[in-house]
Amino acid sequence: MESAAQNNSAAVEVRDLWVSYTGARFAVEQLDLRIEPGEVCMVLGPSGSGKSTLLKAIKGILKSQRGQICVFGLETSNGINGRLRRELGCQIAYVPQNLGLVRNATVLDNTLTGALSRTATVPSLVKAFHRHDVAEARSLLRELGIAHKEQEKVFHLSGGERQRVAIARALMQRPRLVLADEFVSQLDPMTTRDILDIVTATARRGITFLITSHEIELVAQYGDRAVFLREGRKVHECRASEVNLEAVRRLMGRQ
Amino acid sequence: MNAARGPWVKRGGIVLAGAAALAAMANIGFFDAARFGRGLLNTWTFLKGLFPPEPSVLPVILTAMWETLQIAYLGTLLGFALALPAALLATRTVFAPAVTLPLRFLLVVVRTVPSLLWALFFVVAFGLGPVAGTLGIAVYTLGYLGKLFYEAFEGVDPEVLEAVRSVGCNRVQLMRFALLPEAANGILSQLLFIFEYNVRASTILGFVGAGGIGFYMLGYVQLLQYRSLLTAILVTLVVVLLIEHASTRLRRLVLSDAPSAPA
Repeated sequence: MESAAQNNSAAVEVRDLWVSYTGARFAVEQLDLRIEPGEVCMVLGPSGSGKSTLLKAIKGILKSQRGQICVFGLETSNGINGRLRRELGCQIAYVPQNLGLVRNATVLDNTLTGALSRTATVPSLVKAFHRHDVAEARSLLRELGIAHKEQEKVFHLSGGERQRVAIARALMQRPRLVLADEFVSQLDPMTTRDILDIVTATARRGITFLITSHEIELVAQYGDRAVFLREGRKVHECRASEVNLEAVRRLMGRQ
Repeated sequence: MNAARGPWVKRGGIVLAGAAALAAMANIGFFDAARFGRGLLNTWTFLKGLFPPEPSVLPVILTAMWETLQIAYLGTLLGFALALPAALLATRTVFAPAVTLPLRFLLVVVRTVPSLLWALFFVVAFGLGPVAGTLGIAVYTLGYLGKLFYEAFEGVDPEVLEAVRSVGCNRVQLMRFALLPEAANGILSQLLFIFEYNVRASTILGFVGAGGIGFYMLGYVQLLQYRSLLTAILVTLVVVLLIEHASTRLRRLVLSDAPSAPA
């Protein structure tokens, strides 16, 4: 019954969410959001509007003070621990703003990190991953165009290449939901488009994406839905194709 | 007001520091002219007695130096093997204070006692010889590297930890796949540095009967065989300089292939 309910539920459902770092001021206030499975949802907003906080709360890194977050029907509002961690932890991939890659490890090792939740502790200590996981990691790296660098350390790579490794690690988790925090903000336009092409191709396989971004044009082109945040509150929600500069200026209160 | 008081405070401080130095010198016996005269004479006799170095003791000295190097090497390895897990458990970004605090306290206690005193303790426990020296070096290395390592682990970018943690791995996997690789270069560099330090420290362990070249040095001083002492000092000097040179080059090599900017 539970799994049937989970299959029919939204990918992410947030109701009346309030999150604070200090307890004094809320970084996210009274937020409601629903994302359907397979959607690419773009979250827009100026710095400090609560975009990253929202992603961290959904991932369970931050606990909410009030409200409810359900991911595929399971509640994550109070963090992801114990049974929930095993059931859901690896299904939600999180790509932080600076990617969070292990710089002194190789591209292949970083990718294989995504398979840690399904690898026993002792074999993983000597990097003895399942053969099919290694094959899957190599196949992902080929798909993302960095297979030729699998033995290079991450700190030798360019920004675009690192981005691809971060996506490979996220997909290696076999996630149902990917939370990406401004992960194309530091890239040149060509690489950004390459990366977002990969994202949309992946979303077609049924993986849901929640991406924070500043790039209005890209939101319209690659997103399915756009959510606008300001000072921790949702101020607007629309189809991504309806997003334009004028609307953003009006919503963000800027000239 | 403060500006006017500044120079007086400064002058008062200098006068006080000078007076304290003079009092300490008088107390220790630096103003005993007769004693200083005798000291200078003895120094001259000692320096004259050092030359030329005695070549016949070279085989004994080289064997003892080899033992000293083995003490330093084994002591460093043993200390490293203990320091790594201790430092991981003392890392506040991974473990709760209930685990980190007792370990940090233990590392402070271990670090406060110098390796020579640890060696003396192990001489009492295990008897004379290089085993006591090796254990003394190992315990001091544990205290010293333990602190440096947990500081290196805590310096790992929190976003990296957050990202690796979020794949659903456990703490042991987090340490293996995030903490260790990110801190690896620092760890290797510190390991080389402590080995270099331990080689120097091991040369005097023999003073307390814990093996190595120090035992012969002390013997030559007590038997007034200054020429043999000079041979031992020269061999120590050459070996320590060679180890320092090799260690510096190795450390440069390690750090040249290290990440410098966040990914």
